[in-house]
Amino acid sequence: MASPSKLRIAIVGAGIVGVSTAFFLARAGVGVRLLEAHAPAAAATGAADGAVSVASKRPGAMMNAALAGIALYRELAAQGVLDGGFVSRSTFLVAVGAAEAAVLDGHAEALASAGVEVVRHPTSALARLAPALSPEAEGAIEVRGEGHAIGYDVVRRLIRAAELTVERGVTVRNLVQSSDGGLVGLDTDRGRIEADAVVIAAGGGSAELLGLDGVLRPRRGQLLVTERAPALNAALPGAIMSARYLLSKASAKGAPVSPRGYGLVIDPLRTGQFLVGGTRENDATRPIADVEAIGHVLADAVAMVPGLAKLRLLRAFAGLRTAVVDGLPLIGRAPGGDGVFVATGFEGDGICLGPVMGRTIADALLGRPATLDLSPFDPGRFLAGRVAA
Amino acid sequence: MTGGTFSWNGRDVAFRAGESIGAALAGAGVDALGHDPAGRATRWFCGIGACQNCLVRVGGRLVEACLTPAEDGLVVVSADVAEEIDR
Amino acid sequence: MNRAPVLVVGGGPAGLAAAARLADAGRAVDLVELRPALGGAYHRRPIPGVAPWPIGRAGEARWTRLAAGIERPEIRVRLRTGFLGVDGAGFTLLDDRTTGRVETMRPAAIVIATGAVEMVRPRSGWELPGVTTAGGLQVMMKETGRIPEGRILLAGSGPLLVALAGQMVAAGRPPAAIVETGDPFAHPIAGLGLLAHPGPLLEAAGHMARIFAARVPWRRATTLEAIEPTDAGLAVTLVDRRGARERIVVDRVALHDGIRSNDHGFPEASPTASALPFVAWAGDCREVLGVAAAEIDGARIGEEIAARLAGAPIATTSAIRRLAAARQAQDVLARVFAPARPPTPIERLPRETILCRCEGRTVGDLVDLLEGADAPGGREIKLSGRFSMGACQGRFCAHWVAEAAAGLRPDAPPPTPHDLTGRRWPSRPVSIAALVASNSSPDEPTRPT
Repeated sequence: MASPSKLRIAIVGAGIVGVSTAFFLARAGVGVRLLEAHAPAAAATGAADGAVSVASKRPGAMMNAALAGIALYRELAAQGVLDGGFVSRSTFLVAVGAAEAAVLDGHAEALASAGVEVVRHPTSALARLAPALSPEAEGAIEVRGEGHAIGYDVVRRLIRAAELTVERGVTVRNLVQSSDGGLVGLDTDRGRIEADAVVIAAGGGSAELLGLDGVLRPRRGQLLVTERAPALNAALPGAIMSARYLLSKASAKGAPVSPRGYGLVIDPLRTGQFLVGGTRENDATRPIADVEAIGHVLADAVAMVPGLAKLRLLRAFAGLRTAVVDGLPLIGRAPGGDGVFVATGFEGDGICLGPVMGRTIADALLGRPATLDLSPFDPGRFLAGRVAA
Repeated sequence: MTGGTFSWNGRDVAFRAGESIGAALAGAGVDALGHDPAGRATRWFCGIGACQNCLVRVGGRLVEACLTPAEDGLVVVSADVAEEIDR
Repeated sequence: MNRAPVLVVGGGPAGLAAAARLADAGRAVDLVELRPALGGAYHRRPIPGVAPWPIGRAGEARWTRLAAGIERPEIRVRLRTGFLGVDGAGFTLLDDRTTGRVETMRPAAIVIATGAVEMVRPRSGWELPGVTTAGGLQVMMKETGRIPEGRILLAGSGPLLVALAGQMVAAGRPPAAIVETGDPFAHPIAGLGLLAHPGPLLEAAGHMARIFAARVPWRRATTLEAIEPTDAGLAVTLVDRRGARERIVVDRVALHDGIRSNDHGFPEASPTASALPFVAWAGDCREVLGVAAAEIDGARIGEEIAARLAGAPIATTSAIRRLAAARQAQDVLARVFAPARPPTPIERLPRETILCRCEGRTVGDLVDLLEGADAPGGREIKLSGRFSMGACQGRFCAHWVAEAAAGLRPDAPPPTPHDLTGRRWPSRPVSIAALVASNSSPDEPTRPT
């Protein structure tokens, strides 16, 4: 490839993955065209719960990636790039009932075996540790070293820090390749953009550009934000995740256990508000919240933290996560398309993984050694030979 | 319904039947209602429940003083009086 | 035919008129009103034992007509009930403040008649206790029959300040002064246009006669620039037409810089008759034309919805012509009260001036957010800047934030207030306990077609 300063790179999608990629390229002195159909963080990034967490993960490729993701957040925060946009805090997995307590025990062991710092808190300790929790809670495990970052805040701060410019309202129609298969660039509704490399980080919109059928699917999440309640907020030491969430996720792979895929995470925000989620719904294509789901999530939340009943709901919202049918994201070089990179399918892990995957792709584009093994996420498992136009 | 008194931050405030908490407080000369949980000064402003400037705490919950009828014996405090934590 | 009730949102003239016409056509109507009494801004009802504020013969006749129109078995009036919007499964959500429950329903149609909200231009100190909107002060007067104690200054622009001052004089409590940004007497030719609208003109003349008789200072072509708290009261800085500043001390300030539709967060009007539920807007929330027009518009929309639901042709009425006349009157008023000097652009106000009061966001915060190579759009300004993100959901700041953003970044597409507020439920904050107690999904939700 040409020297970095001469490289022409186009990134499709200004969600957290595309913006992170642009950020690391810009920091290396590479100018990028950052093309966005709507606006930065307009889709999944802007409707995410912001977990920078391994608490619900099992050992494996996704956990390793998430640990690298958390480490990078700390690094960026230390560099001042995130300007307070990353909040370090523990996640508390809380069990209600013997069955959940048993699941939690096994999970704690698995996390610890992967080197995650886990502290077990017996039932007797909870009233002091987390006074806002319901007395029904039967023990919790604290996953330390995690954090929270609001997706749209991260995106805005990365744009500012690297002085990026987002080209809003640009619809990318297709990749353009020469007769010998070399990349020419992209055709857009505003004309052709020539590029030496293209990064497709367009969430669900990536499928059409890559000629992927049946590989990506939307998985809706519904979330809500309450008004401020500083005292209640202070009575929770970190994010509260119901142990039932582990069942809902049914491990990293596979379908949710119910059509709505109800889980429960209650995140006390810096503002004194609470962010509460959520659902994992297949076959829902409109990112609009409904009262049945929000009411269900709220009922669960009130059972876990009774004080929430006295607050008001300020906003309910929904987003469409882009999931891959086998549960692992698509990250890396698209086979058969020289200079075409893919980074999508992060489902609910985009905020945690976006920056680290952006850096990894930037490193690949710059010919730098990889700091993260991307082989488990190789798009080649679905894309072999398909990108060639 | 008849009028009566309610408690505002520990002080008795008289109201007439049908009066809102906010109107009764204004009638008692109370303009500054304290602060909301975000630290912003609270006060009667739009009078129609739109601006959320007149939040007060009743039974632990934040309500618009301009929309909420006063009731005899009601205990009303500023919105920034810390909520009690239910378990 | 869908026999579900039609939901009418708002108990002002437009809502009441719409409900009456729907009932005329045999439709069941649920009329919801957030406040404990019907009336809307103009016809606001007093609490028991207090005489209604005098509003003149035409106004009293209108109220008698509107109140009689809804005394029918087809119409169920639900007070202290707010409209939260329509959810993603097509359910309409109501916040019943009496029962403490959120209810879901599937009306055949929704008439949104939520009237207007006041505009208050940001200026230093507008967020202080003792500062209300002029309409907010009027609500208190109309409901309680009382005017709060102390020296009250009315400031901003428009006919409401004159009406409010006239009412205060009539009640024996004249305001300390009226500070009017416009210079109404400087537009005699435009003012003549009002002669075509004798109703409002006579009402205004009555108020003005009272104001002059009571020698209330009417400071025209003067702007209230800043409000500061002092031990003696609120010190306000006035700037006259020559730019000279003056400081006076009062106890209360009532601000008013015009009104606009109270439309934030609500679903858009339906483009086609097949949309379910069919959503229509009526009265000032559709177009600010005043109380008389609101009654006409409500009746028109009520008839139109009834016809649509019956599959009947929509009759042409005189309503459109009468609304056009009301629009003309509003245009004349806008010219008469046009600012004598161009107002300071929002983005050039002192940096510490509060723009979004709920989230404490200032002019300086917006200037900083919009610096740099990349110009964020409306939704980004909301999310990353926290403008219009608080409990009022942008009702009082989205307009000014959008205006200031357009001024700061002429290189980017100007954001609209709706970019900042969005259109989604809940359109206002709602009790979580009420949502949990909701009788949602009595049947399995189905998606709207």
